[in-house]
Amino acid sequence: MLLHLRNIEKRFGGVTALSSGNLSVDAGEVHLLMGENGAGKSTLMKIVAGMIPFDGGEMLWRGQPVQFRNPAEAARNGIAMVHQESLLAPHLSVAENIFLGREDTGWLGWVHRRRMMQRARLLIEENNFPLKPEWSVETLSPAGKQMVEICRALEHGSSLLIFDEPTSSLSESETRQVFRIVTNLRNRGMGVIYITHRLEELRSVGDRVTVLRDGVTVHSGPLSGLTTDELIHHMVGREVSAIYSRKPGERGAELLRVEGLNRSPLLADIGFSLYAGEITGMAGLVGAGRTELCRALFGVDAIDSGRIFVDGKQVEIRSPRDAVRAGLALIPEDRQRTGLATGLPIAYNTTMASLGAVSAFGFLKLSEERAVTLEYMRKLRIKMDSPKQLAGRLSGGNQQKVAISKWLAKGARVFLFDEPTRGIDVGAKVEVFEVMDQLARSGAAVLMVSSEMAELLQVADRILVMRQGRITGELPGRTTQNAIMRLAAFEKESGVLQEKPE
Amino acid sequence: MIQRLLPFLTLIILFVGLAIASPHFLTQTNLSSVVRQTAVINIMALGMTLIIISGGIDLSVGAILAMAGLMGTMAMAAGLPILVGVGVGILAGGACGVVNGFFITKLRVNPFIVTLGTLGIFRGLALIISNGLPVHKIPPSFSFLGEGTVLGVPFVLWILLLCALLMHLLLEHTKLGRYAFSIGSNEHAAFYAGIPVDFHLTAVYAIGGLLTGLAGMIEASRLMTGQPTAGQGYELQAIAAVVIGGGSLRGGEGSVLGTLIGAFIMGLLSNGSDLLGISPYLQQAIIGAVIILAVTVDELRKRRMTA
Repeated sequence: MLLHLRNIEKRFGGVTALSSGNLSVDAGEVHLLMGENGAGKSTLMKIVAGMIPFDGGEMLWRGQPVQFRNPAEAARNGIAMVHQESLLAPHLSVAENIFLGREDTGWLGWVHRRRMMQRARLLIEENNFPLKPEWSVETLSPAGKQMVEICRALEHGSSLLIFDEPTSSLSESETRQVFRIVTNLRNRGMGVIYITHRLEELRSVGDRVTVLRDGVTVHSGPLSGLTTDELIHHMVGREVSAIYSRKPGERGAELLRVEGLNRSPLLADIGFSLYAGEITGMAGLVGAGRTELCRALFGVDAIDSGRIFVDGKQVEIRSPRDAVRAGLALIPEDRQRTGLATGLPIAYNTTMASLGAVSAFGFLKLSEERAVTLEYMRKLRIKMDSPKQLAGRLSGGNQQKVAISKWLAKGARVFLFDEPTRGIDVGAKVEVFEVMDQLARSGAAVLMVSSEMAELLQVADRILVMRQGRITGELPGRTTQNAIMRLAAFEKESGVLQEKPE
Repeated sequence: MIQRLLPFLTLIILFVGLAIASPHFLTQTNLSSVVRQTAVINIMALGMTLIIISGGIDLSVGAILAMAGLMGTMAMAAGLPILVGVGVGILAGGACGVVNGFFITKLRVNPFIVTLGTLGIFRGLALIISNGLPVHKIPPSFSFLGEGTVLGVPFVLWILLLCALLMHLLLEHTKLGRYAFSIGSNEHAAFYAGIPVDFHLTAVYAIGGLLTGLAGMIEASRLMTGQPTAGQGYELQAIAAVVIGGGSLRGGEGSVLGTLIGAFIMGLLSNGSDLLGISPYLQQAIIGAVIILAVTVDELRKRRMTA
């Protein structure tokens, strides 16, 4: 046995990311690591690769207890990770990246360039990679970059390779190429851990599978004989913890209609409608294109084709300014980066989109601004000292409410919430749900993008599911997590689940 | 709170210290010479405050100052009335600012790089237009702008106070000022809120250019020439004044009062060194150290606030 993890624990501040991570990997096997968003897969692998320390449990490497202090130590022991986001130096050549940090050097740090080039060429040829050692890494495709990372791992003499969702950014042919490489590595006796959401592609590659859920290993066993339904059950498993229940909304007029929206490379043929009085959920796994859809609707990214209707009238949205004019509001996922100016007072944020309403001839009416801010403080129950307080000093939930108040002040009618509950505590979550409910009841159309399926089930009147840039189906609000997961991760609504031919 | 007041306290301590150390400090001649010397930098620094609040920077202000002074004096030399000449200089500065704003917003090039480039371009154009020669044919009464006195106070102080008041109103009471803060604090959030970012950024650089144009005319009036080589290195003094006064190069922070204090601290430091016979070489080092000290103290304050 190469690697054995027993009851690994990891906390970030007060949040427990892993409470009992168990995993064992043999030489010559491909081990799939699966789980929902936030189940702890990446955290567990970062621990193995020495990127973060663990707080409890035991890690055995070739039978010896270890705790790697940094990635270099893990690498010396033969563990390497191929990252989702490439960690290569883009301006250097393929060969230079392969030997980065362990250059073949002589006296006074002189780098033996030609020798490195030759060894890199040999390595590339051994693996049949379509690469040249002198190519610049920035010109490579994502798959090419992964090949460089693999070469680097092989050059370092690694015996365990970790792939963190390597195919999420790859095309189909590139994906097949990665699978071929993975199979080759296994046949050469290496251990491979493969983090993935997309099981159906991996039936042919994987030997065993370990499923994490909420930081706990809930299943570990051979892949053959495990049905997709069983796997979904392991991944979703838990009872829906009812923190909130909402009376279903009443569907009013159609406020937003999207037809045939395309944006390469991800979004394809998107069509849906949002109605006044309704909260429409949108589910999907990481990388399904939900955030990209919000950005495209809001005019942040240009669309290739498609039509958008607001209130029955077709609108051209080429920038957020157009979107705001049309009555759209986006409460983005990365609140700190795009949603709020955290270094400015709350009042400045509240009126940011509607400054015209509190000014005359370019001059601000500061007392009116203050009144508006206090009004929304009361309406949304924002806990703050004064409108002059800096927005960044509020809690996550209250920051979220300030971001919402900005759009209420503007009088928006179509609200796009991208992961509205990310990074806020349970109490604040309920309050955000209440605000969304209030919005819907006052005649707004609400889209709620969320990776928390349980929350979608509690809040949404109906749920759209996206997978790989397409809407794969629509479900009623009272559906099940299994039904969502099926559309999000596997086949189309009506399609038959394909099992590995034995 | 004490740390927030630190620049102001430093100014007062400097003032009192110099008054005790040198009998020549508290004379009307000396004080008005301090005011006249700092007014040019101060007025430029007011524009720089707006630009830095919006998250940008303008390295070309020294060259704009020369260009404006040159254009204004050339207009006067061509026989136009003094007031028209001053107007020409100010507008020339504004035009340079619009050019900066255009490159920054339309080409989406970093303001540091754009204004580093236009620094060379404006300076080069000024030298080409003037053939490298200063303009001397100026009506004598033009000197009133830089050297005149109104109600016993240097005229430039009145101009400075008026500009400071207007800039304060702009920053705290107009949409443009608010948008400058929003864009500087978080350009993404401003863009997502539907703020016309490009238009307002261009306006910010244009206003910076207008103020620099005015500073250029004052400088020309004090020298009584239109110098194509005027204002070299002024950009760094203007930036230093803003930064000592609590402006952040990350944007979203800064105030008119802070900038005024920052400019006067630098003015007093150099005047005090002159009075006390400290070598001009050491002066530069002292001012440099004060800049680093001021920013360090400000950073410590912010870190404590967020911790």
